[in-house]
Amino acid sequence: MKRYDCLQAIVPHFGEELVVTNLGAVRHEWQALRPHAGNYHLQNLGLTSSLALGLALALPHRKVVAFDGDGSLLLNLGSLATIANQRPRNLIHLVFDNECYESSRGAPTATAGQADLAAVAHGCGFANVITAKTLTEFTEGFVRALKDKDLYFILAKVEAGAGDVPAAALDSQENKYLFVRYIEKSENLKILTSTLSRASEPRAK
Amino acid sequence: MKREVAAEIVDSLKEAGVDFVASLTEANLHDLVMALGEDPAIHHVPVTREEEGIGICAGAYLGGKKPAMVMMNSGFLLSTNALATVCIHPGIPVLMLIGHSGGVGEENAAHATVGALTEPVLQAMHIVYEKVGRFEDIRPTIRDSQILARSSRRPTAIVLNKQALR
Repeated sequence: MKRYDCLQAIVPHFGEELVVTNLGAVRHEWQALRPHAGNYHLQNLGLTSSLALGLALALPHRKVVAFDGDGSLLLNLGSLATIANQRPRNLIHLVFDNECYESSRGAPTATAGQADLAAVAHGCGFANVITAKTLTEFTEGFVRALKDKDLYFILAKVEAGAGDVPAAALDSQENKYLFVRYIEKSENLKILTSTLSRASEPRAK
Repeated sequence: MKREVAAEIVDSLKEAGVDFVASLTEANLHDLVMALGEDPAIHHVPVTREEEGIGICAGAYLGGKKPAMVMMNSGFLLSTNALATVCIHPGIPVLMLIGHSGGVGEENAAHATVGALTEPVLQAMHIVYEKVGRFEDIRPTIRDSQILARSSRRPTAIVLNKQALR
């Protein structure tokens, strides 16, 4: 199975879930399949799981899904220990493991050798760990995690290769503003501070 | 760090609106980290590596929290790429409290190298910072650094020197 097939299979199950995407083709694929203000496209390799954790802790009543990659998670294995200890019941940490640095021309990652990220997650204390090797296993596992109220780690073993989609037309600042305005509106929060202009203050007579 | 200094920092953070703190401890930060863990008004996330904390703080901000990161200067140096890509690039604030080892009075040669690099790296990253050594400066500096972080949508830093940490 390929990552794009996985994304296509689960996109009908999405409503107002918040999604954090890893650097690389996954953000373009996801933005093409689900153009939504609740997608946050992180421009950093490694911190996808951590940013998703912060978001999940801040909004415990909202489901948060991280689309991570093997190369990214290998940069930040310690985050699995932190996430398992915090155990946010609203977070799904999904890793598309293609066993290579696909966006960097495909050199193998450690998972092409001996490393098993699901075993690492289990060892760090994740109670719900799923390894999916077929599209059916993946879809069933993901839908279960989406419906359940608990922390999940899902390892999707995929072939390398990106979906045939256009590049997402969002830059990071635009994405941040759209995402934050969406959170402000949907959660009735004030995140971005604004300063009153002195000119708008009534003048003393 | 004395317990009363730790208590002053925690109280100042809360007064400044901070409700979420990621931390990585060190001998000098121990009392502060323990106090953060005990305060019900702050969601405290101990991390395994400082750049992880920067990512967590950024996510918490996007979800409406007012985050801060507590770490030593060695951890700040480790976090430079995270700060550049996760915070400065999109425009996400995080208040950093950085314990400064390797300043005057330092006896450990390895710390001295990290100490000498800390301010030049903060300056190179255009991160506005204040150095705090006196007890009475803790509260106003935390308040003002947090105001600037929120209004500028950028990370700001408070460098706590040995005097503040004792």
